[in-house]
Amino acid sequence: MAVIFHIPGPLLVFTHGQRRIEIDSSPINVAEALDCLCLQYPGIRDRILNEQGEIREHVNIFVGKDELRYLNGAATELNDGAEITIMQAVSGGLRGLAQLRHPERNSLAS
Amino acid sequence: MIGTSVDHYHILSRIGEGGMGIVYRAHDEVLNRDVALKVLTKGSLDKLGRDHLLGEARTASSLSHPNICTIHEVRKWNDEFYVVMEFIEGRPLRSLIGDSGLPTETVLRYGIQIADALAHAHDRAVVHRDLKSSNVMVTPDARVKVLDFGLAMSLRKEQLDDATRSVVDLGSGSELVGTLSYMAPEILQGQSGTYQSDIWAFGVLLYEAAAGKLPFLGHTGLEVGSAILHQAPPALPTHIPPGLISVVQRCLAKDLALRFQRASEVRAALEALQAASIVGREQRDAQVGPRTLYFRGVEHLDVKNGDVLVFAGTNKGLFIFRSSRERSRWQMAGPYFPGRAINAIAYDRRADRHRIWVSTSQFWGSYLQSSDDFGKSWTNPLEANVKFPQESGASLKSIWQICLGCTDDPDLMYCGVEPAALFKSTDSGESWSLVQGLFDHPHRPRWVPGNGGLCLHTIIPDAHNRDRMMVAISAAGNYRTDDGGQTWQAKNRGIRVVHMPEKFPEFGQCVHKVVTHPSHPDRMFLQNHWGLYRSDDAGDCWHDIAHGVPSDFGFAMLMHPHDPDCVYIVPVESDEFRCTPNGRLRVYRTRNAGGSWEPLTRGLPQTGAYETILRDSLATDSLDPAGVYFGTRSGKLYHSRDEGKTWALIRDGLPQIVCIRATAVNELGGFAGARSSKPARSSVKSKRKRQKKKTRN
Repeated sequence: MAVIFHIPGPLLVFTHGQRRIEIDSSPINVAEALDCLCLQYPGIRDRILNEQGEIREHVNIFVGKDELRYLNGAATELNDGAEITIMQAVSGGLRGLAQLRHPERNSLAS
Repeated sequence: MIGTSVDHYHILSRIGEGGMGIVYRAHDEVLNRDVALKVLTKGSLDKLGRDHLLGEARTASSLSHPNICTIHEVRKWNDEFYVVMEFIEGRPLRSLIGDSGLPTETVLRYGIQIADALAHAHDRAVVHRDLKSSNVMVTPDARVKVLDFGLAMSLRKEQLDDATRSVVDLGSGSELVGTLSYMAPEILQGQSGTYQSDIWAFGVLLYEAAAGKLPFLGHTGLEVGSAILHQAPPALPTHIPPGLISVVQRCLAKDLALRFQRASEVRAALEALQAASIVGREQRDAQVGPRTLYFRGVEHLDVKNGDVLVFAGTNKGLFIFRSSRERSRWQMAGPYFPGRAINAIAYDRRADRHRIWVSTSQFWGSYLQSSDDFGKSWTNPLEANVKFPQESGASLKSIWQICLGCTDDPDLMYCGVEPAALFKSTDSGESWSLVQGLFDHPHRPRWVPGNGGLCLHTIIPDAHNRDRMMVAISAAGNYRTDDGGQTWQAKNRGIRVVHMPEKFPEFGQCVHKVVTHPSHPDRMFLQNHWGLYRSDDAGDCWHDIAHGVPSDFGFAMLMHPHDPDCVYIVPVESDEFRCTPNGRLRVYRTRNAGGSWEPLTRGLPQTGAYETILRDSLATDSLDPAGVYFGTRSGKLYHSRDEGKTWALIRDGLPQIVCIRATAVNELGGFAGARSSKPARSSVKSKRKRQKKKTRN
């Protein structure tokens, strides 16, 4: 099973310019897929997660068209061919609103 | 067993099961840490085998290497033996290798760490005997840990024969068959495992990591064994560099004389490939090297000896200005890091360096980045170089101050961050560690952030006493250590607060800036959130010195580079209206240590100039007469080449200026921001001249 990451411009420097990265180690959820991505391209991890394993405040991660914080957070399960898009927030991120709705779903640390 | 205790180990959960036993996660109640506990299965070994295993495990427990899972001890409990090991968070390398293998850079990165672990063990006469991708863990920070060193049992010949004769489908994942794929030909021929057998297994692992499949395949153990003994591995995919293919081939040479003799040789070969691949990639793709950053379209400065540089950090990037020593015409370069906030700058000229340090901050985190060639190229760390330890519960928001140590310790650096904490580096900024003594201060839970957050923005190492340092935190106040950072005391006596019911509390002051001169380290000047102060006893007591200023509210404060009695400030009207009073842009200067203040206005707009100068936006070079520079939130950069007597605009239209540093290139000295550690001889002369003139007047 493979999933596909779409990498934003500012992070291409860490993926040797690749905008689309396929992870074919059958990750079952977003946390596993991010682990694989970050292990292959180590510059990515600290750009999207803070020291506590939380997604940075102004970084949004989408699975398909849905932002991770509105799904099941890091535990969001992935189907074969799932597309994960990493983006910087327009302003302020979705955290404030998302925390109101899913306060427990912001951390990737657990 | 979960929930029970084995000696002083409380069993928490089951992690896995191997050929020799079951592995549990357990908590060591004595040392208060989590460990992995491998309980050997009854009957997994006969007595001879068990004695042999225990002997080897005890030897292996002597290994101490960052890439080897540490064996803490081997113990006996109720006739059962168990091995206590380091608990490792991470994933087995096997699970990370997809069908098409890992990128070459990753293979090299992991490979070098594994080879280093093998070399360390072999030097101490420990053979692994069961190296395979499922015995290698990769931690979340991409560090490799090799498991089970010395714990693999020596396969007896009859077990081997069973395995090779097996008709079992290899997909069933039997432990023995899993091991078989990594087994060297000499072992299949009945010899015992040696260092070179480990190198063979390492070659299989490298092949697997690069290609995504094992080199020797078969439907039965017999077929796999036969392939190992008689066949060459299939060619590696074409995208793999020839150098790596060659290393794998030498690891998998069936003839021991042709195989690498030592793991250290393999490590050296991989390191050479890694170095070549970094250089090759940077040459091929100079704009997007992951560890080095170049900025397209910036006309860089051609800096010569004697030039003066001004670095302006803005909320949207760094600009560098260059002038000859006359400081009359300025050339600009930038923006460097466009779109990122530059919250701190330092220029390190210790040990013959010309290194610019900046803290960059954006959606993607805060980083320290440096340039040794005046901005042509910049470091671009893969990992955040300043990081709170996970157990601290904190995460970095921004780096607000970069402070260099004295010239006699050219590798010492500090940085102050938000949330308020101090970090220290003893290797020129390569690695940083949290100064725990301050972070653990009992006051910390009661520190309250100011408008700009809870940040440690000022760091003043004592020029004459290595154990003493003052830091200032908004809005917690000043803290001083006299024992090299182990303990810290609040030093705020006499500083008034307006935002708390108690007017002179022990801490909670919103200090905006503190300055001192290295020649008078005990005398400090302080710009507070309301209030101008001086201390003559290294911060023990503070006295009001706001005599003759239009407002004692302000942010920036600057010490003259040569005259310890001379300090500059730029007052603003109030905390509500943070602009220069009456629309007049005035720098104020004291030349008698706060006894009186004079406005410096020549060349500065005196109508309609509602400006704000932030705490680090005042700077000086160390020439004589000193150049003084300041930047405004509205993006204007001013300078004076006669110590403030007259001013001129260097540049208008920059983004909001957050911090400024200035320096003369190739001069001697030591502290961040081009402050010299001693008054220069010529400056003493010029001070005498000034005093004479004053007497005449």
